[in-house]
Amino acid sequence: MAEKPEDLNLPNAVITRIIKEALPDGVNVSKEARRAISQAASVFVLYATSCANNFALKAKRKTLNAGDVMAAMEEMEFERFLEPLRAALEVYKKGQKGKKEVSEQKRKEKKQADGEHEKNKEDEEGEDEEEQRMEEEPEEGEEEVEN
Amino acid sequence: MAAAAVAALVSSTEQEPDRCGSEEENRGVEAGDGGQQPAGPAAPGCSRLSKLPLARIKALMKSDPDVSLASQESVFIIAKATELFVEMIAKDALVYAQQGKRKTLQRKDLDNAIEAIDEFAFLEGTLD
Repeated sequence: MAEKPEDLNLPNAVITRIIKEALPDGVNVSKEARRAISQAASVFVLYATSCANNFALKAKRKTLNAGDVMAAMEEMEFERFLEPLRAALEVYKKGQKGKKEVSEQKRKEKKQADGEHEKNKEDEEGEDEEEQRMEEEPEEGEEEVEN
Repeated sequence: MAAAAVAALVSSTEQEPDRCGSEEENRGVEAGDGGQQPAGPAAPGCSRLSKLPLARIKALMKSDPDVSLASQESVFIIAKATELFVEMIAKDALVYAQQGKRKTLQRKDLDNAIEAIDEFAFLEGTLD
């Protein structure tokens, strides 16, 4: 890609919202300041990623993990972030676990349903074919007209 | 523009199936941003924990040629850290605006903060 990584900006609306929530009421932010903060945020992501990647490489891993990012924060002198990040990570992990269980359950239900479907396959196939034919009819009609 | 490229990147990244009500809020906010963000609906990270779209963060991370793979958790933490960073730099810049008896944060307040604060040294020379 010919684009610089800096072109991948974070959504302005979200950045603006984060800024506004951080500042007291009545404070405004100029467009230039907002743009600069958004750019700075992108640079931050790149710098943090690069730092974290170094830790991963040191540990001979190819996949960045949460620990690498935490180590990067310390390296970048953003220790103040560590506590809130750890807390947020815990909540995130729980949420992920819940999602996994939900999708696993769905897979199980699907398997069961498929098992039943196999018995009724012939009937269902017939129905499907009819539906397909109905959908195809108009197209075939068009083709004939073109010809 | 960059939006098309981002959209292409996003479509190739992993997508998480479920969405909470908060996702709709985020989509609404992003849509209000001139509709530049086709990446909106694809943004995973259901829970309110991350305001920034994980897909976009991941795309940024992947733009580093040295990075091969990043776990979902690492993408999330970087997103969250970026949020904290934005809060921090906004507050630090505000100090300079207040010194100038202004209620509007301006670009120069940011420049001052970057120059004065050690943690922001990495930003020097990187902003337009």
